[in-house]
Parts: sequence; C-alpha cells; structure tokens
Amino acid sequence: MKRREEPLGSLEHIVLLAVMRLGEDAYGTTIRREIENATGRDLSVGAVYATLVRLEEKCFIRSSEGEPTAERGGRAKRFFRMTADGKGVLQNAHNILRKLSTGLKDLEAT
Amino acid sequence: MKQHVALHVATWLLLRLVPKDLRESLLGDLTEEYVWRTNGASPSAARSWYLRQICASFPHLLWLMITRSTWFPTLGVALVAYVAVGVVQVIVYLAIPSSAAPTYSPLGLFVVFPLVSIIGYVAEYFRRRAALLLSGMMLAAITALTLLGTENVPFWYRLAYFVVGPAAVLMGGALHSSSATRS
Repeated sequence: MKRREEPLGSLEHIVLLAVMRLGEDAYGTTIRREIENATGRDLSVGAVYATLVRLEEKCFIRSSEGEPTAERGGRAKRFFRMTADGKGVLQNAHNILRKLSTGLKDLEAT
Repeated sequence: MKQHVALHVATWLLLRLVPKDLRESLLGDLTEEYVWRTNGASPSAARSWYLRQICASFPHLLWLMITRSTWFPTLGVALVAYVAVGVVQVIVYLAIPSSAAPTYSPLGLFVVFPLVSIIGYVAEYFRRRAALLLSGMMLAAITALTLLGTENVPFWYRLAYFVVGPAAVLMGGALHSSSATRS
C-alpha cells in the first residue's frame, strides 16, 4: 500500500529525519535524544511513539523487534527503519523548502 | 514508597493507551532512560523526569487512541445520520399542507418513520453499529425534550417518537445487516 501523497506534519517531519540520521540504531530513546540534541525540545516518549505509529501507518517507516536487554528491565527494543516512501516524502519536502527559501535574503543572513 | 506506587499506577494507566505491540518497547525506553538518569543524577530527579514524561505522554497517546479507535468514525456516521433525520422531519412537515394534517398527525409519522428506517439502513451501510448508536441518540434527544421541553405535545405523539423512531432506525440497521450476511 503506497501512500506517498500523505501530507507530513512538522513533528512527523522531524521524527522522520531523526530516524534517517540514526539509521540502524533508531528506536524510541535514541530518536527522542536525537531530537532533543538537535532542537532543544524535551519531547515526551508518548509524543514520539504517537508520531512513529502515524508514520508507520502512512508506510514511511517500518518497525521490527530487537532482543531484550538487561538495562531495559528485560524488555525488547523496537527498531524503526525508513522505507522508500519515507525517503521520497522527505526528499519532496526538502525540495519544496529549498525552492521556497531560495533568494530569501533575510533567511540567508541568519 | 508512595512515589513508587504513584509511578507504577501512572505507568499502568499510560500503557492502557498504547497499542499492545508497542507497550513493551515504550516501557523499555522509559526504563532505559530512567536507569541512565538515576546513574547520572539523583534518584529523585530521575523519578520526577519519569513522572513528567508520563504526564506529557498522556494527551498524545489518548488522541492516538481516539483517532485509531473504531467507534470514532461510527460516532461521526451516527451524527451525520442524526442531522439527516432532523432534515427529513422538517422537509416532511413543510411538504404536508396544514389543511391536510395538523402539526401532530399520524400522517406525518407514517411518512417520517419509513424514511428514518432508510437512514438507519444507510448509516449501517457506512459503519457497523452506527444505526444502534443513532437510535440511542434519538432516545436521549426525545427523553431530554420530554423532560425539558415546554411545548405542549400530545402524549401519543411523544410515545410514537420514543418507541417507533428508534425502532425504525434499528429495523433499517438490521435490514442492512441481514442482507449483508446473506450476500
């Protein structure tokens, strides 16, 4: 089921970028920290998971369960990977932003 | 001790809002960061971080649960059908000239109830159990109007709306369900 035409919300955009940056190591905690480091926003784990669920429903990411670890109280991680649709929608959003911001002197100055 | 109990209760409540397949990983993520913060800072700071996380997560996960639940679209269909019932009533009473029938006449009811039944059928077509929800909404509305309304409406008329209205909707819904089962 391909749903590339689905719009991307601002938090979805940020979470998707974090998943892309983290690659093989993208799971709840690392995604949350990546966003916190980049934006300074202390996102709740619930906000991250709600966004991940929506992104998975839109087929922009897929998830798989990892092995349980002791530091997590014996609970398994759920890893998230970007799909081709996810990459496509990010490229599309990036192209739009680039086109719209080209030539804007106020933005270039900052 | 009380703080630990509060954390357990809050966590348990939060997990009720999370899709089952994500509960373990979400709890694991919280535990992992809690342990990391306990080692790096004071345990009380870690506990307050944990509690803040739980509180801040509630609205997001609650909204996720509402938007993913099956009853939300059903409620939407039932609401639209409820408006349709109101529109049908107005049209029927405008169409029947007052010389042919007074405001509260069996003639109007004989025309309205089959149409209401069709609305129940269509609502059930779009969403399972929408007809049931619609009949409940009609019952509630008629009860409220009976208790709070000041208009002098004949008892038989109210009774007809109280019994036949919701029954007509249910009949329409049941008709759709039985035809769907046969096919």
